[in-house]
Amino acid sequence: MELDEKQIALDHIKQTVTENPIVLYMKGTPQFPQCGFSGRAAQVLKACGVTKYVAVNVLEDAGAWNYLKFYADFPTFPQLYIKGELIGGSDIMLAMYEQGELQKLIAEATAQ
Amino acid sequence: MKVTPDNVKEFILEGLQCEHIQVEGDGRHFEAVIVSQAFEGKGMLQQHKLVYQVLGDKMEKIHALSMKTLTPTQWANR
Repeated sequence: MELDEKQIALDHIKQTVTENPIVLYMKGTPQFPQCGFSGRAAQVLKACGVTKYVAVNVLEDAGAWNYLKFYADFPTFPQLYIKGELIGGSDIMLAMYEQGELQKLIAEATAQ
Repeated sequence: MKVTPDNVKEFILEGLQCEHIQVEGDGRHFEAVIVSQAFEGKGMLQQHKLVYQVLGDKMEKIHALSMKTLTPTQWANR
């Protein structure tokens, strides 16, 4: 039973991150983040000029809450995915933004 | 029991040889600067994953960890 639940959750995560170019798993919403790191992640995306992305509130998504850590072997929230690949958490997002790398990845992902 | 910055430092040092490590925090939020030869040749994501692997289950006791990972070369040139 437990295996099924995990597999269903992982399949759903895979579908979400591959069907949408930019996905942010976070605590709360971009408007009302429930954790400082999640808020920072949403702000970084805003600073990159991203207006359209999928934000998944892990506090309301039991599958993501319990199993996202296994999907890309990364145990914390928030997590940013671009074109199906884990970019990292808020530290990595901020560092890549400061280096101009995140803007590049986002421009590539949204150009198609 | 509340986790202290020193605990977090010890947890990391148990599994990762560091040239330099500094951890600050209030028991729920921690900030770490970690310099290790093991980060050489790895991207930031792989470096962070390495630290999480070392911490393992202890991450559940550490509510939030913000980290800066650097190679010894990056640390010397900072």
